[in-house]
Amino acid sequence: MTLFLRELNRNSRSFIIWTTSLVTSSVLMMLLFPYMQTNIAEMMKDMTGSMPEGMVSALNLGLDFSKVLPFFAYLFQYIILFSAIYAMLLGAGILSREEGEKTVEFLLAKPVTRNGIITSKLSCLLVYLVVFNLIFAAADYAAIRIVSEQDFSIKLFILLHFGQLLIQFVFALTGLLISVFVTRTATIYPLSVGVVLLMYFISIISGISGKLGDLKYLTPFEYAMPADIVRTGGIEPVCYVIIGALIVACTAGTYVFYNRKDIRA
Amino acid sequence: MPIDYLVNGYYNDYTLTMWSIQKGGLNVSVLETKLLTKHYGKARGIENVSINIEKGEIFGFIGPNGAGKSTTIRTLLGFLKPSGGSARIFGLDCFSRGREIKARLGYVPAEVSYYGDMRVKELLEYSAAFYGKSSNGSESKKGRINELCEIFGVEIDKRMDSLSYGNKKKVAIVQALLHEPELLIFDEPTGGLDPLVQNSFFEVLRKEKSKGTTIFFSSHVLSEVEKMCDRVAIIKEGRILRTESIEKLRGNRYRKLKLDHTPDSKPDVSGLPGVTSLRSGSGYTEFMYNGDINALLGALALTRLDNVCIEEPSLEEIFMHYYSKGE
Repeated sequence: MTLFLRELNRNSRSFIIWTTSLVTSSVLMMLLFPYMQTNIAEMMKDMTGSMPEGMVSALNLGLDFSKVLPFFAYLFQYIILFSAIYAMLLGAGILSREEGEKTVEFLLAKPVTRNGIITSKLSCLLVYLVVFNLIFAAADYAAIRIVSEQDFSIKLFILLHFGQLLIQFVFALTGLLISVFVTRTATIYPLSVGVVLLMYFISIISGISGKLGDLKYLTPFEYAMPADIVRTGGIEPVCYVIIGALIVACTAGTYVFYNRKDIRA
Repeated sequence: MPIDYLVNGYYNDYTLTMWSIQKGGLNVSVLETKLLTKHYGKARGIENVSINIEKGEIFGFIGPNGAGKSTTIRTLLGFLKPSGGSARIFGLDCFSRGREIKARLGYVPAEVSYYGDMRVKELLEYSAAFYGKSSNGSESKKGRINELCEIFGVEIDKRMDSLSYGNKKKVAIVQALLHEPELLIFDEPTGGLDPLVQNSFFEVLRKEKSKGTTIFFSSHVLSEVEKMCDRVAIIKEGRILRTESIEKLRGNRYRKLKLDHTPDSKPDVSGLPGVTSLRSGSGYTEFMYNGDINALLGALALTRLDNVCIEEPSLEEIFMHYYSKGE
């Protein structure tokens, strides 16, 4: 409990900064909706008409932008990219920071087990990501209500944020697992950002070409792609299975390998 | 058999230990390693380290930099996974019961890197929080923080990252003593401490020892080991060369001899049993001797000497003697 509280405290500043800036971006972009609503549908038709079809589907430009939820979903896919970066950095840093800053020698001399350390840090991670998405959902709901009187599916709205939470979990836990092996601060952070961007790139590629369509199972971004959720009305069951498997594998891997490793401060 | 066994039909480490104490025969081992080995990659680790530290003693662990002192300590604390051998502290296995062990020990690392964003006070309170609510309340805990900080001159409101190397070390020492552990493990504790603080530190160690605390500390400074320790283990290139009481090390009856003579009347002592580190030049002969003193005098009487000087070597010379022998 001591360690858990310390972690909440230690990561609070970055949490506040990331949450504030991403929520603000999301809300500000939604405030553009009334100005775009009237002529955007026309504009998009002109624009996408001259673009290759693969491009249109890859960038999800085929949505009906005059409707508030598709408009939100379109913007939200970019928000998710940054949320994923935040989650990955949080996951990659929370454990490795102790080694990177050599404070692990303090921690391991206390009456704690390595499992206890992981559990405390993992709990902190979960709490932060859940709170992040609760704040997000509340702010987005308010923003949508302000800019539009259209009816929209609350279920899909919640699913969009739940999807963001799942994507964040996958990246955070991947980061946690990688950080068991790569502990140097100067390496782990760029590596984390690189992984997220690579996954995002794969997500775009898989949308462009039908041939590469199966690539989408490689990237967490496709598991809960906002445009797909709005279009199909949900998240594919197979994606739930993959997300679940990844979460279990990364968590188990972290516990197993962290317990085995030599910790050299 | 212990009486508990007869009455309750069971016994455990504790009753056995109590039994040995009552019998007065056995000493209680607080820390014991058997053939502890740690290899990492190509780098040398430690090889078959066996030490045994008894309750209430100050045990020194001495060797040059890179000899394996920190590796041994880090393996004992479970930071490193052993490649072989066993280690027990308080009779508990170091690798499966680490948490219970650590509740009862305090550790000061050689290089102190604590959370830079914390103030000294916060760090000490954070550290104390890991040991739960002790029988004495939080008031006396605060009292102990203040008392220890006063002894060492620690400024409690400073941020950790603003402290110098020596001041960080002081915080680490306070942190280790705070919960009144039964065993203290120090890895080169005096590094960075000024002589005045070193004295307070040794004063505190003596006080802890008088309370029955066991102390294990590594060092490459011989004088402090000589001053403080009951016994020492000498480690070189990952192996324990010798474990000995300070008294016995000194009492090994090594004598350092310096003979002055004319170049052609060189005394022949090379055949004498007990002669080591023999060096001679034109006009002088030097050696260490731990054999029969009469045999030596007999041999020396055969030659004409200008001067003879027989000294008790300093502990430092005894250690250098062990290192150079390389056994």
